[in-house]
Amino acid sequence: MHKVMVIDDEPFILMMIEDKLKKANIMVVALRESRDAVEVIRKEKPDLIILDWMMPEISGIEICKTLKEDSELQNIPVFMLTAKGQDEDEKLGLQYGIARYITKPFSPKALLSMVEETLGKHSP
Amino acid sequence: MFKTKIFYKLMIILLIFAAMILVPYTYTIVIQVNKLIELEESFDQPQSQEVLEAHRLFVSNLFKGTTPYIIYTVILAFGLSIFFMRNLLLSLKQLQRGTEAIRDGTFETKLEVLTDDEIGDLTIAFNEMSDTLKTKTLELEKKDTYFREMMDPLWVVDEHDHITDINPAFTRLFGYEKDEVLGASIYDFFDEKNALTMYRQLNEKRVKGIASMYEIEVITKKGLLFPVLISGAPIYAGDKIVGKIGILKDFREQSELKNELKRSKEYVETIMDSIKDEMLVIDRDYRVTMANQVARSNLEGSLEGDFCYKIAHNLDQPCWIRGYDCPAQMVFKTGDPYTATHKHVTKAGLKYHEIVATPIKDAAGDVTNVIELYRDVTERVEHSKKMNRKNRELSVLNSIAHILSQSLKAEEIFSSVLDKVIDMLHMDGGGIYFIDDLERDMRCAYHRSLSEEYLKKYGRMRLGEDLPGKAAVTGLVITINDLSKDRRLEDSLFRHSGIRGYCCIPIRGKEKIIGVFCLFSMHAYEFTVEEERILHAIGEMTGIAVDNVKLYEKMRDLYETQRQRREEEHAQLLSLSEKFGSIVNLGDVMTQVLILIKQFTRADFCWVLLNDKNGNLVLRAVSENTGDEDTIMYASDTRSFERYALERKTPVLVHDMLTQEKFYINPLLRERLYTSALSLPMLSGHKPVGICSLYFIAKRLFREEELHFLQIVVNSLTVAVQRSELHREVISKTGLSDTILNSVQDAIITVDHNGRTVSINKAFTDISNISMKSAIGLSLCDLLNFSDENDMMCVTLDECLVTALQGKSVRRDGELETTYGDKMFVKISSDPVLDADQSVTGAVFVLRDMSKEKNIDRIKTEIIRSVSHQFRTPLSAIVGMSEMILEDGMEPEKSRQYIETILDEGIRLSNMVSELLSIAKIESGKERMHPRPVDVRHLLKTVKKTFSPVVRKKKAVINHRVDVKEDLIVDEEKLREMLLVIVDNALTFSDDGCRVDISIDRVGDMVEITVADTGWGISDEDIGHLTERFYRGRHGDKVKGTGLGLSLCQEIVTMHGGTMKIESTVGKGTDVILQIPCGGKDA
Repeated sequence: MHKVMVIDDEPFILMMIEDKLKKANIMVVALRESRDAVEVIRKEKPDLIILDWMMPEISGIEICKTLKEDSELQNIPVFMLTAKGQDEDEKLGLQYGIARYITKPFSPKALLSMVEETLGKHSP
Repeated sequence: MFKTKIFYKLMIILLIFAAMILVPYTYTIVIQVNKLIELEESFDQPQSQEVLEAHRLFVSNLFKGTTPYIIYTVILAFGLSIFFMRNLLLSLKQLQRGTEAIRDGTFETKLEVLTDDEIGDLTIAFNEMSDTLKTKTLELEKKDTYFREMMDPLWVVDEHDHITDINPAFTRLFGYEKDEVLGASIYDFFDEKNALTMYRQLNEKRVKGIASMYEIEVITKKGLLFPVLISGAPIYAGDKIVGKIGILKDFREQSELKNELKRSKEYVETIMDSIKDEMLVIDRDYRVTMANQVARSNLEGSLEGDFCYKIAHNLDQPCWIRGYDCPAQMVFKTGDPYTATHKHVTKAGLKYHEIVATPIKDAAGDVTNVIELYRDVTERVEHSKKMNRKNRELSVLNSIAHILSQSLKAEEIFSSVLDKVIDMLHMDGGGIYFIDDLERDMRCAYHRSLSEEYLKKYGRMRLGEDLPGKAAVTGLVITINDLSKDRRLEDSLFRHSGIRGYCCIPIRGKEKIIGVFCLFSMHAYEFTVEEERILHAIGEMTGIAVDNVKLYEKMRDLYETQRQRREEEHAQLLSLSEKFGSIVNLGDVMTQVLILIKQFTRADFCWVLLNDKNGNLVLRAVSENTGDEDTIMYASDTRSFERYALERKTPVLVHDMLTQEKFYINPLLRERLYTSALSLPMLSGHKPVGICSLYFIAKRLFREEELHFLQIVVNSLTVAVQRSELHREVISKTGLSDTILNSVQDAIITVDHNGRTVSINKAFTDISNISMKSAIGLSLCDLLNFSDENDMMCVTLDECLVTALQGKSVRRDGELETTYGDKMFVKISSDPVLDADQSVTGAVFVLRDMSKEKNIDRIKTEIIRSVSHQFRTPLSAIVGMSEMILEDGMEPEKSRQYIETILDEGIRLSNMVSELLSIAKIESGKERMHPRPVDVRHLLKTVKKTFSPVVRKKKAVINHRVDVKEDLIVDEEKLREMLLVIVDNALTFSDDGCRVDISIDRVGDMVEITVADTGWGISDEDIGHLTERFYRGRHGDKVKGTGLGLSLCQEIVTMHGGTMKIESTVGKGTDVILQIPCGGKDA
């Protein structure tokens, strides 16, 4: 079973994604605090990470940067979930090797298919 | 004889003598005779011998018998005589000696008075005489000494005027020895003329017998004429004048002085005569003591010696007695110079004289004489009379000019001008006809005192028809003195309207006649040439004003038109202003006016200085060609006489320019030593436009009406200057308006057909720091080389120029670096400049700074981005969750939870929208305040309560302290909103366990609300931008927010009339300090 980790400070986003993915038989680790996100990732070793860009304390892009520097973790595909809808943001995000760039508001259905698509490529 | 004492003395001696001699003698004789008789009787013989013997012996016997008595008597008499006459003899002897002594010249003899008789008296008299003689002799001696020793020559002459004596001084001075002159006639000492004077004087004085004194010249031995002052006195012998004594005082020095005096008198007279004004010197008796040539030829009477009132006014008593304003009297009274204007009777008839009376004072400071200078001001007075009328006209003109220059409402202009003109000419009424070009007719739009009937009849006229129609077509002022009598106007419509005086003034616009002023009078009216000229001027001025209004309206319209159309309109405006080129150069006119003022006031120098934008006084016009036009005469901070008058806003006249130390005088003037100066400020309303100053080398006084006149001239000048300045500014040589150019934010460069710069505007100066003056003549590349980065721009502009000179417009984009190193994105519009014949004379480049637009775009993008970002999160809930709900298989409980979330997020979205809206509302001024008394303690409690969940969660502390007793008059909701934002920020941008202190204090009449936190603080970089909408600092990524809070606070504080200040130290915390007036904004 695939394990997907979702990090967002908005509880309802977490809830929504969790509900959707669980329904599709994907294990979800939801995290509201970005502070020790990297630690949790290292521990959980998820197959996919869905990150919110804008979070208090440590932003999504910072987490992403840390992951890419870690040889163990750098191959985990990262979905960036953001309210920033500009092209430049997307460009910046892709620089950090972000697999998907999902702008809010998003369709949970579409997210799920994207997750499934990515997980399918990286099936363990 | 019997009264003499000596007689009585002799009588007494006789009586004693008789008693002593005669009684014994008689007794003896009687005894002897008795003896003889007895003897005879004894003989009784008459003829006896004896008898005969007896008889013969009788005489001898008698003699014998009496002899002892005779001896006795003689001795006694001798003895008595000696006894009685001794003193007399002694006295006589004394007198004799005295006399002898006096004869010998001894006056010391003092005789003793021995008897109290005549001899005694004689002795006393002798003594007195001797004393007198002694005194007299002494006097004589003294006189003689004087005579000898006197420094002044002296002569004594007898009754035949022959010299009997002279003194040594005579010899000393004239060289004659005493021996030479004794017995000579005094006339030998004078030449013919002087001899005659001498003769007359001597005889006159001789007859009158009085002393005299007169000047004369004596011929010295060497044959020279020696001036002397002879004082002569007659010498009396009894009642008869036997001679004269004359003192001939050396008068050489006095004579010299006198000559000097005469010379200086002549000099004075020459000066006086050279004065072209009449001049009289008047003494305290109002007698003319001196008069100059002009006065003598102009005034009646013999002048010198005559009374001034007689001469000037043909009066018999001083003028002031009759209550005339007498300058001489005033000067005698006050001792100060006095000026008056009088009407005088002269040979040439009645004349007006300006009399300047100046005192002549003696050493004691008393006025002894008055100099009166009569300046013939007849012409001036006549002129001034005319001027009064002109003044009125000028005043009207001035006020018209004022209306014209101030008003930008055509209606107001026409209405006021119509009123003023009617008032000026004392007309009964009038109207303004406006020409309708399409209809080829004209209609009466404004009118005064015109009846309905009249308007019906004459309210509309065809062009060329009747008087107004003709005026409209020809553009000439038509004046009719008396309509009813003018034969040429027999078919005029007005002929039977009862109108007599009539005039039509065309109103000339820039291009054509726009209308006609028509004025009428029910009486015949004589229009003077001046009046016609003025009317013409009014017509022109009104026309120009109307054009100005049109221009103004055009400008206003232009600026109000949409941005896209601006360029087109701009070009239109430029071509419009190009046509202004035909305006007369008023600067030259002004110089002419100055010269006239100079002549009129007899000023030695006058100039007009104008205030430039920086407050410097710039020379605009000057009565003589100094070549300094347009240079700064006095900088704005210079304390000049002109500045002083300008600040006072009244004409200022000083008479001691040379000694005035408080004024800085321009070197141009300082060298010329002007004494009097008059400064007339040129004011437009209260705005000082400039100043007109007159300088005089001599002291110059001004009469009220002169000042008044000058003021009016200067006012007119002000209007002219304003107009000229306006035109000068509006119209550049190429016909481009600087005003327009400069008011435009875009940089504008105009070049001629050679590509040389003709003008640049202020906006270009601002970015290039090249002055408008120095830019002229530069090529485009030279103009742009203030920065090395502008080469590309130069190429672009050159390309544009080529196209523009071909008559085509180009639009390009470019990048310009300003002289301050800022990058500027510019949009270049280049257009050809066409003259009236549509041929290209140059090009104009408009460089529009697009940086701002770019910046605005950026902000907009930012806003949209931020808004969209903020909106996206709640939208995610709404969109995503709704989608999931709609999918099958969701438990009802989950659905409910989802729907609740959707609702929450919907509300959040809505709040955000309203926050944004309220800022927009406040900004647009639509939001109203609702101030009322607010209990801040209660308010703070509710605010704290709102944050209690957060406080609990973050383990934070909120303290509050209120040091204000009364309620604040504020909008409670807005204050709450503000506090919520600030406290929320304080809690949000802080770590757990932070502290927030809210304090409210009174500072003066303000209330200070401070919210201090112990949070992360704000970087210096961010602090200036906090109130920018949607600005989010460096913590923005971490914390969700709208970036609207503080900008909303700022709006609210401003709305309350207060201020907001944010002080912060990174890592320590932030203080937000709000200051709001206690009693609300309006208290």
